[in-house]
Amino acid sequence: MSELKPTNRKAELLLEAVAEGHVAEVLAMETVAGCATTFDPGWEVDPFGGVASLCQPMEADLYGCSDPCWWPAQVPDTMNTYPNWDSGKPSAPADWRELDAVYPKK
Amino acid sequence: MSSAMIFRSPGLRAAAATGILLAAFGLARAAAPTKDLLVTAAKPDRLFIIDAATRSVRAEYHVPGAEGGIATIVISPDQRTAYTLVDRMERIVGIDLGSGREVFRADLSTPGERVKDFFALAITPDGKELIAYELPTLLKPSEYVVEEPRFAVFRTTAGLEAKAVRSFPAPRRIHMLLIRPNGRSFYALGFDLYEYDLSSGKLLGTRGIQQWQIPDHAQPDLLAFWPVTEPTGIFTSPIYTEVKNGAESTPTTAMMSLDLKSGGLSYFDFEPLSALIFSTILSPDRKHAYGVYTTLTSVDMAGHRLAKRVPLDHTFYDVNVSSDGREIYLAGTNCDVGFYDSASLEKKAILKLPGCGDQALSTLRVIHGR
Repeated sequence: MSELKPTNRKAELLLEAVAEGHVAEVLAMETVAGCATTFDPGWEVDPFGGVASLCQPMEADLYGCSDPCWWPAQVPDTMNTYPNWDSGKPSAPADWRELDAVYPKK
Repeated sequence: MSSAMIFRSPGLRAAAATGILLAAFGLARAAAPTKDLLVTAAKPDRLFIIDAATRSVRAEYHVPGAEGGIATIVISPDQRTAYTLVDRMERIVGIDLGSGREVFRADLSTPGERVKDFFALAITPDGKELIAYELPTLLKPSEYVVEEPRFAVFRTTAGLEAKAVRSFPAPRRIHMLLIRPNGRSFYALGFDLYEYDLSSGKLLGTRGIQQWQIPDHAQPDLLAFWPVTEPTGIFTSPIYTEVKNGAESTPTTAMMSLDLKSGGLSYFDFEPLSALIFSTILSPDRKHAYGVYTTLTSVDMAGHRLAKRVPLDHTFYDVNVSSDGREIYLAGTNCDVGFYDSASLEKKAILKLPGCGDQALSTLRVIHGR
């Protein structure tokens, strides 16, 4: 942690918690709010810095990534908040036009 | 919701009508020669049994509560039941492969506690117990409380309201469980490889994956969601690392092998990273491993080298192999199942699943019937 510098209040609180031995209170959010189980950036680049080695086509990968909330920034949280996002749309290659953006419930 | 089944062949309809469906699928102990049947799943809630020889769908079942798709599939040792992880990874449903009837259900979540099982599911060699990996969260009125993960054990005879008969602490970030053939312990695969006593829950040992100690090799990266060990009882997976050579380092693909019977865990590098592989399967003669992603790869296990690689029509996630080793089966992602020659890696056939729903991350299993 000594190599990290906090850039906001929340990050400072995290460092304070570590220093005070309260690390157990700062757990990775495996299935808590949203579903960010990964810190991978999503469908931007492959390990070679390009896109050729990403899943082809993207639709082949869409549900494989949204079902376990692999790319939480790009697809809705279907595990918890928007479980019906893909209802009636079993095929990403055929149904991708029907997969809409989601908005927080009022 | 009740389960339902759709027969794809007139013969099977007749078999069901006369109540001899189990015999139609056959079991490994049957006297007549057996052939490969593939089990896969597709959205929204379908479980398929495919005759590999005729490239045809033998049966198509609805899995209750699986509207979001089916993740892990585990087959009972007698090959009569498929246990599926469904309902956004909060429910385990067992489907009788002969009738399509729901014979087991365990809802992991309860009011006030949400429990997810990220892919990790195993069944004991005697078929009597299921092991699940539970990530529980207390849902309080104004806050969520992350609880400690645990392994939960269910009796497969518990019916449709199964409750865990015992549970014990588990590490975080587990995504695969693999039972050992002696039935006394199981492996949990995550950042590292753990072995637990099934009865007591005691941690028997930890071996490094992220913490591996291989000279000149950087911390590796492993993606392993598909607990497929047929037909050898050996789990294999690609694993990615960097090999240091002086000031330079080379991204490298290695092969990981875990022998469930002996406990042997080994690695070897086989190529500088040139193509991604999501999952692999070991051939029956253990001479080759076949890996899949956007290419199909054959790895020479004795020579520790890339043997052959061909492009695929699209990405597939998971792979299995025929009992005679002659064909490679591809599944996952979209609605097609691929049949490839294991020697030439040439495409032999593609089967489009009825309804053409995405298989996404579903496991592809091989069972045996007549």
